[in-house]
Amino acid sequence: MRERMKKVKSVQYPQHEISFILNGKKVSCKTKGSAVLLDVIRDVFELKGTKPGCHEGECGACTVLVDNVPVNSCLFLAVNADGKNILTVEGLLHADGTLDPVQESLVQNGAVQCGFCSSGMAMSLKALVHQYENAHPVAGEIKKGIPSRDEIKKHLEGNLCRCTGYVKILDAAEKLFLNNE
Amino acid sequence: MDFNIITPVTVKELLGTMKKFQKKKFRFGAGCTDLLMELKRNPEENLTVINLSRVKDPLFTGIKKSAAGFRFGAMLTAHKIMVNEEIRNNFKVLHEAAESLASTQIRQVATVGGNVCTASPSGDMACALVALEADCEILGITGKKGMVPITGFFTGVRKTVLKKNELLCGIFVPAKNKKSKNIYSGFVKIGTRQSMECSVVSLAYHIQADAGGKIIHAGVAIGSSAPTIRFAEDAAHYLVGKKFENISVNERKEFAARVLTYATPIDDLRATAWYRKEVLFNISKAIFENDAKNSR
Ligand SMILES: Cc1cc2nc3c(=O)[nH]c(=O)nc-3n(C[C@H](O)[C@H](O)[C@H](O)COP(=O)(O)OP(=O)(O)OC[C@H]3O[C@@H](n4cnc5c(N)ncnc54)[C@H](O)[C@@H]3O)c2cc1C
Ligand code: FES
Ligand code: FES
Repeated sequence: MRERMKKVKSVQYPQHEISFILNGKKVSCKTKGSAVLLDVIRDVFELKGTKPGCHEGECGACTVLVDNVPVNSCLFLAVNADGKNILTVEGLLHADGTLDPVQESLVQNGAVQCGFCSSGMAMSLKALVHQYENAHPVAGEIKKGIPSRDEIKKHLEGNLCRCTGYVKILDAAEKLFLNNE
Repeated sequence: MDFNIITPVTVKELLGTMKKFQKKKFRFGAGCTDLLMELKRNPEENLTVINLSRVKDPLFTGIKKSAAGFRFGAMLTAHKIMVNEEIRNNFKVLHEAAESLASTQIRQVATVGGNVCTASPSGDMACALVALEADCEILGITGKKGMVPITGFFTGVRKTVLKKNELLCGIFVPAKNKKSKNIYSGFVKIGTRQSMECSVVSLAYHIQADAGGKIIHAGVAIGSSAPTIRFAEDAAHYLVGKKFENISVNERKEFAARVLTYATPIDDLRATAWYRKEVLFNISKAIFENDAKNSR
């Protein structure tokens, strides 16, 4: 037993220095090569809005945007965030303290119950907004018009919600685009 | 779960890293969606992950069309495959497989190379590539490249012909037959939830017909039905010479029965072997109804 503990202790892998933009600010930190972005966001930068749900890529509670596209931060290596632009739910808040339209629509349409899925939902919806607006084009993939309810459903496949039954979330998403039009 | 990670940015650096770690334990990491889950379940000691995600080289990330076919890098993500117009127009089966893989978030990082190399019997893009009779382009530690048909790439559950000092750098999909005028191509995935890794069963088909509607070439593959994805060669052959639109009910059944001879499914928590066979038979039979409208 003692021998085994010694062995584990002896494995010291090098740390990595990473720098990236987190919610508009340039940040850097040291991280283990095996660390995932979720842990760095929550434990190093103490932003607890990004939720650990399943740690397996199933629930989407940990969704953040990397260069405007949504990823599961629980399966995204922190070293791969180096040089990227990361947006978490905290970054949705405007400088004057008002909510992002995505959050506003979720709130106004009763799409938040316990709230555990909400930050991930908001980030996934923000990514969908980016696909349709010229301000933040996602690698030349700007779409015209507004997404259909089916497209919204397909887009949110990776975000689970235990409470709302999804109807209000889809309503909130649809209204968001109608108001933006 | 802890490991060492090395992130080469050029092919030269990548080969150098492989040489350096030749005698040690290492794994490649592409999107890492499979790898991280695997290492969480079965942590390995003294492991180095060679991170492929920063290798900026068309060998790994390019898409190139030629008269012979389509070549794309192993590091293309499911998302990139899904939004590619050429792939959508020419290889609908691959487009649909990429579209049905996991979720929006996973598709942004999961790569086609990872989907093939992980050699899961339920790999969606891998199944489509088997139906398309793609070739795997392999890069060796010396920088030498070789081609292996994907139909011979999988040797068992999570096992491939790749040696330790080799990796997959690209996929080649042959162009359609010159006489082909109508292509019936699609991916059918049956699962308890669409965005789940393991389908109960899946079926990929890419059937080419000439101007008169006669089938001149067919590729059919099945997933989650055997230890590896299987190329249902005999079932595909059976279709050649027949007119897609005129295939009779009995011929559909015969086709489905031939597909089934490639299936050796298991009972697991998702479905019983019996159910998998029933479903496979029914979806095989049904492609002639589904696809009549979708032909291009
Ligand atoms: C929640 C969830 C849902 C999923 N749903 C689906 C689904 O619906 N359909 C599906 O098919 N899959 C699914 N998967 C599995 C996985 O996402 C895919 O197989 C994905 O394509 C793997 O790609 P990757 O780039 O993430 O591979 P990685 O995890 O990086 O690699 C997978 C394996 O391949 C090896 N490897 C990777 N690239 C290379 C290379 N170029 N050369 C040699 N070896 C290489 C790695 O060493 C590793 O062993 C799901 C996974 C999760 C977590
Ligand atoms: S915590 Fe990342 S998907 Fe559930
Ligand atoms: S509001 Fe509770 S999980 Fe969605």
